[in-house]
Amino acid sequence: MIGVALMLIAFSVIDFSGWWTVRTISNVVHFSSILALIAMGQALVIVSKEIDLSVGSVYGLTGIAFITFEQSLGVPGAMLAALGIAATCGLVQGIAVVWGGLPSMIVTLGGLFTFRGIIYVWTGGSVRNFSEEARAHWLTRAFGGEFLGFEVVLFWMLLMLVILSAMLKLTRFGNHLLATGGAADSAESRGVRIDRVKIVTFMICSLMAGFAGIVTLADRPQTHVTIGDLLELEAIAAAVIGGCLLSGGRGSLLGAVLGAFIVTSFRYELIALGAPSSWFITFVGVVLIVAVIFNQKLARWAGHNV
Amino acid sequence: MADAKPLIQVKNLDLYFGAFHALRNVSVDFHAGELVGLVGDNGAGKTTLIRVLCGIHTPTGGEVYFDGERVRAFHPKLAIDQGIETIQQSVGLCDNLSIARNFYLGREPVKRILGIPFLDFAKMRGEAKKVIRAFGLRDNVSVDDEVERLSGGERQSVKIGRAVEFKNRVVIMDEPTNHLSVREREHVNELAVQLRDQGLLVIYITHDIFQVHKLADRIVIMENGEKIEDASTDSMTADELEEVIRQGGRQVEKMEA
Repeated sequence: MIGVALMLIAFSVIDFSGWWTVRTISNVVHFSSILALIAMGQALVIVSKEIDLSVGSVYGLTGIAFITFEQSLGVPGAMLAALGIAATCGLVQGIAVVWGGLPSMIVTLGGLFTFRGIIYVWTGGSVRNFSEEARAHWLTRAFGGEFLGFEVVLFWMLLMLVILSAMLKLTRFGNHLLATGGAADSAESRGVRIDRVKIVTFMICSLMAGFAGIVTLADRPQTHVTIGDLLELEAIAAAVIGGCLLSGGRGSLLGAVLGAFIVTSFRYELIALGAPSSWFITFVGVVLIVAVIFNQKLARWAGHNV
Repeated sequence: MADAKPLIQVKNLDLYFGAFHALRNVSVDFHAGELVGLVGDNGAGKTTLIRVLCGIHTPTGGEVYFDGERVRAFHPKLAIDQGIETIQQSVGLCDNLSIARNFYLGREPVKRILGIPFLDFAKMRGEAKKVIRAFGLRDNVSVDDEVERLSGGERQSVKIGRAVEFKNRVVIMDEPTNHLSVREREHVNELAVQLRDQGLLVIYITHDIFQVHKLADRIVIMENGEKIEDASTDSMTADELEEVIRQGGRQVEKMEA
């Protein structure tokens, strides 16, 4: 957390040195919030000592399901159905990891390809759109509109931050999740159902990714097949920059949100500096490595075994 | 005691890890109000046997009865719900959690605020503090400290304190005096006797036959996954039992004949 704060200050100093306009700030807030929703789910999975590479595809699949189902189910029905698909993605992957005893990196890599493939087959590469009345639906506005001059996604993100942080730190499930990630054997010997904890965590992660997809498309209701590509890596980067240790058991959702802000503002920073946008991924990589070194040093300095 | 109904009855238990035959046809009864010493060399199957009893391993063959009921599903949660508390050697504490959180792991008390069950931190910290002080943890150790910061003896004290606090019907201690000073060791041994006197079944695993002979009502000796001796401490001296361990499985035929 301290590391994130320092990094954030450093970037803010660079960031606010003149290229900023209301338009870019609004964009950064918007995309940070969407990435933060995904990164929070990812952070929970990382705390449980697993990883979820499929969130980008789940994000796209859920968003496309939301747009496609709208014609037959209406906006509320489509939203529920789309979230149901997201939850199923998490459930299936969680079960494969826990009961199949497979490494989550492989299972969710499979998920990444599978769900992306479903998007290709389902849409046939075509672009889908919301009808005019669906765009004007109150529920669409509630997720994609503006409130108090900010895009409403910011408030959804903050709400989820409060709910999920409370869940992680203040509830039994949170205690079991931290214990599972910290020492699964010990947790199990105390009667924690680590299998259920992990499955539920994968479901929360997929739901958050799906929710982010719905929020994105409620704002700009037009799909394309590559929606959410590479988002899983940005989400993992955000969570790790935010202080989640891949060794499990430690992580902060606020950190993941700040990490998402750093990753996103970097993109705009580079654009503002006039660098070709293709450099963005490279920079995320560099920041990620620096952040991991930083986190490890800080954790050791605080006396943790990492 | 022999004709009383056993609290835990193990019948013809077999356990394989792949091709490795870890437990071979083990049958043993444990009664309430009994302190049983489970003794044997490293790799004799002591820990494996109690890991079946506390639900970590599912046996390959044979039966386990708890209070007359056949145990069909094995999971630590089920064992704990039935009242079996286990102090294990290598597992039981999560380094990344505070002492208070570890103390109540798996049975966290909750307090409802607006209908949402939140952890009852006041209770968790209060109770955990009482117990760790009673178990002689340094005053500068707080219940909010992560377990990572504790020494081996302190970790053991937390585990034992927890098991005693939640004592139910069975307390299994796997090498409980490892890492402990002489005084702490005596304290643990006294506790084991106290728990037995309160009517609990105490299973005490150790290498040290002489130490456990002084405490236990009965000694069970294991060797290569088999039970090779099961005798009351009245009927055999510690030296005789040590001789059995030294001779290994040869004693078995004599017993059965």
